[in-house]
Amino acid sequence: MTVTEAKAILLLYRPGTADAEDPQIAGALTLAKREPELARWLEDHCARQEALRAKFRKITVPAGLKEQIISEQAARIVTLSRHRRNTVFAALAALAAVVILLIVMSSSWLPRRQIEDNTLAIYRNQMAGVALRGYGMDLTTNDPAPIRAYLVQKQAPSDFVLSAALQKAAVTGCAVEGWQNVKVSMICFRTGRPLPPNQSSDLWLFVVDRASLKDAPENGQLRIAANKGLITAVWTQGDKVYLLGTEGDESTIRKFL
Amino acid sequence: MAECLDFESLVTRYYEPLYKFAFSLARDESDACDLTQQTFCIWAAKGHQLRDPSKVKTWLFTTLHREFLGIRRKQTRFPHVELDQAEPELPVVSPAAISRHDTAHVLAALARLDEIYQAPVALFYLQDCSYNEIAEILQVPLGTVKSRLARGISRLQKLLGDETGGPRPEQTRL
Repeated sequence: MTVTEAKAILLLYRPGTADAEDPQIAGALTLAKREPELARWLEDHCARQEALRAKFRKITVPAGLKEQIISEQAARIVTLSRHRRNTVFAALAALAAVVILLIVMSSSWLPRRQIEDNTLAIYRNQMAGVALRGYGMDLTTNDPAPIRAYLVQKQAPSDFVLSAALQKAAVTGCAVEGWQNVKVSMICFRTGRPLPPNQSSDLWLFVVDRASLKDAPENGQLRIAANKGLITAVWTQGDKVYLLGTEGDESTIRKFL
Repeated sequence: MAECLDFESLVTRYYEPLYKFAFSLARDESDACDLTQQTFCIWAAKGHQLRDPSKVKTWLFTTLHREFLGIRRKQTRFPHVELDQAEPELPVVSPAAISRHDTAHVLAALARLDEIYQAPVALFYLQDCSYNEIAEILQVPLGTVKSRLARGISRLQKLLGDETGGPRPEQTRL
């Protein structure tokens, strides 16, 4: 190792540190003990390094920095946990709001529709449509007993009362219809008039629970109205509302009341 | 390991050297505090990813240095002096001349060095890190650190010697 090489190596030497343990530096330091010129250079170099080191040593750490770092980190954790808690709370609140909205909608809007649709006029109109537009009979029979049994089985109104005229009319079958989530029993008859080849009935009786209509007629009250080419008669008896329909006029329907 | 990774213990152990490193780079107390705090903040968020607890110290210094470089690149308000890559002569400034400078002056001279020399020279004079640790912090090979230190120290002393004025001491060719 030459003196020049030793100076290059010792340029990185910091007196008083573990740098002296570096093999290259240790070798250069050994050489400095033998070479007076290198020894003088090293002495100056160490003084310069120490002078510069002293400048860096004078950097003072502001008082309270450590406490500030720790306290701000603690505050950050609190803020984060509060933020997380708030996020969870906000999510739950949003969920609750949606549930409340759905409840409000189901308790106000939907029932209002039911109430609005739950009128005799609409019921009559809809049942007339069933009779006129065609229907499929669930049970085809001329025996009234199986009809009641079938309606019992289907949990549709079955304990209806027939007028004497209807009892005499020829029954042809029955079906269960739906209206406002309520089952409606449909009993089909023949008036005795000639029927087209594809038609088996021309007189229809619809029976529904009275509670399903908000404006059902009072007991003993009869309402006759024309609907879509049908003449209909509506009355209430007990807890049932009866709707009888046929083609013709009021005199036609009255024959069966 | 748990002791090493405990936040408060970690702050107690490293906040001073980190602050001094930050100050030697930023030369502003407020910026240095922010850098130190930000470093520990990053540690709190990401420190758990560090598998080897023996690397905590270099991780902290590396993080601080990266933060400093990131901020400086955004600000682009720190001028630096481009010097020749080759530095054949070692300017010799007397210890007395250096002593006439205050710390702010020395750090100002450090700031005038090219960016790649500033951090290694600061870490070198702060004497908190070995060469290997400086290499790890800056994530460059040991040989690169040594060459950057040699150039950085030479240029820093040259700058200080130039600013001292008066007759220059002898110059020694390496």
